[in-house]
Amino acid sequence: MQLSRCSQGICAIILLLVASAFLLDDLASLFTTGVLVFGLLGQYLLFDKSEREIIRSVEVRRSLGRKTIRRGSSLQVISQVTFRGSPRMHVRITDLLPKNTILADGETTESTLPDPGQRTCSFRYRMIPLTHGTLSFSGVRVECRNLFFEDSLSLAHPAYTQPAITVMPSGLFQVPASESMEGTRDNRKASVYSSFDIHSLREYQPGDDLRHVDWKVSAKYNRIFLRRYSSPLSHPPLIIVDLPWSGAPVPEKEFSRMISEVTGLVNHTLQTYQRISILFISGPNVLHLIHDEKNAARCIAELREWMHPAERLTHFYHMADRTDLRSRVRRYEEARDDAPDTIRSPFFDAMHDHYLSVLGHQRNPAFSGQIARTVSPIVTTEAFLFTLWTGDISHIRHVVRPLTTQQIRVHVKIIDDSRPERSVPQGKPAPAGGKR
Amino acid sequence: MSPLPRELWFFIPLAAIVIAIAILWPSPTGYAGIVLFVVFAGLFHVGRTRPDRGFLLTCSSVPLVVTCALQNIWAGAGAACLLAGIVSSAMGLLESPDDNRSFGLFCGSVVVIALLIMFSNHVTAPLLIIAGITCLVLFIQSVRNYQFRKEYSGAG
Repeated sequence: MQLSRCSQGICAIILLLVASAFLLDDLASLFTTGVLVFGLLGQYLLFDKSEREIIRSVEVRRSLGRKTIRRGSSLQVISQVTFRGSPRMHVRITDLLPKNTILADGETTESTLPDPGQRTCSFRYRMIPLTHGTLSFSGVRVECRNLFFEDSLSLAHPAYTQPAITVMPSGLFQVPASESMEGTRDNRKASVYSSFDIHSLREYQPGDDLRHVDWKVSAKYNRIFLRRYSSPLSHPPLIIVDLPWSGAPVPEKEFSRMISEVTGLVNHTLQTYQRISILFISGPNVLHLIHDEKNAARCIAELREWMHPAERLTHFYHMADRTDLRSRVRRYEEARDDAPDTIRSPFFDAMHDHYLSVLGHQRNPAFSGQIARTVSPIVTTEAFLFTLWTGDISHIRHVVRPLTTQQIRVHVKIIDDSRPERSVPQGKPAPAGGKR
Repeated sequence: MSPLPRELWFFIPLAAIVIAIAILWPSPTGYAGIVLFVVFAGLFHVGRTRPDRGFLLTCSSVPLVVTCALQNIWAGAGAACLLAGIVSSAMGLLESPDDNRSFGLFCGSVVVIALLIMFSNHVTAPLLIIAGITCLVLFIQSVRNYQFRKEYSGAG
């Protein structure tokens, strides 16, 4: 418990009166001291009684967006703290996050004015767990203040720390089993000509292929009609969104543009293909996968939930791809062999040895494996990677490489006016990584 | 016609006590009581909008209580109760029946202190008694607080 400024001043007066009463042997001063002491003591007892009543009446209800999440992904929490207020008592309620989590957005603190009735504080926020395991909320902190005193108490009884959140390690990221393929499509890379449903007929025009004439209908109407076939279009493109790091300044204008571009592409894809897959990454961290979603409203809701700067648990710094390193080693070997003079040969030798030593020490990051595992069940021939191209961008290489290996054409959409869009065809090298 | 504010019901008897003291025991201290009453009333009026009004009123009421108690301990007790009523009303601490009950208890404790002072010749004994009661209350409260916090902080 702490004294307010008013109480501190009264205590100073009490000390002054005690000193004067003791030194001057003045009973009148002592009487005044006694009155002030008993008055302050009475206020303390009243404050304590009100505080206890408030704390006893606190009830907490929390609802989570999901009970199980991945480490590093954000979780929507809605908390409602109900309590009975007290006259002349200011109450401040803080919903305490679980340990090892950070607040992504929203407010967890609310102050209320003195009121003896039932009060409800509602909090809506997003948090990001930084470690895996089962996490419980730390409870609720209640701060009470009146004219004379202020006090706070963290309520950590199990009734205030529910529900528990299960946080899965992000290193095991993979497509959830329920969303995986279950033999519904035998030929994953189906040809665009694999279906021959007739969706309409039209009259013959010179130059049309006579093999498509519908003879039965033509005989009926005495005019030549051609069949128009419908066939499935190619598979919907995979959309990969590289979210910026929340720990660094985010270019707001470019990020807004990226959001609108992603939303536009998602809408277009849903209209065209009636389903879509979106992968959210933030640097070398796989955050979330929307797999084969058919519901446009749910898709937009998920976009709204995830399209924010994200916390990064892992960072890359000039993390070169091993395939690139091997190709450089080969290139310098060839250059050394082809070098006609002995002047350039030592340079090529030195470069060759350098890249060889780097190759010997560098292992493939777990991120590449995660991307490969995540993308492998998705049937697509095309992918769009949206990135702001800020900070270290070597992870782009590790995203593009597994996709090109699976014969997926990657379009890197850089949301930066000064840079052009890049398209990476199947089997061709991806944009170079490194620090801009 | 609007009813008289609650503070005024305390002001009138307080003025009567101060004037009675000056008449019954004419001395410089008695006249000083009138001056201090005027100062208190002035501060009460001037400091209406100040954020530290409670402390300001307490500061200005202490010399008045001391002055009255110097003349007669029961006059001091009466002044203390009335001043407490004025300050409590001004700070909104006398609004409900519970507040009135608390104020009554405070007045009772003032009477007890006055009795204690009346039967004492020197400061030491009543000072020790007041300090002892205060320490006892604080000790009991600290034990209760410890148990309460233990229960609600999840340690119990």
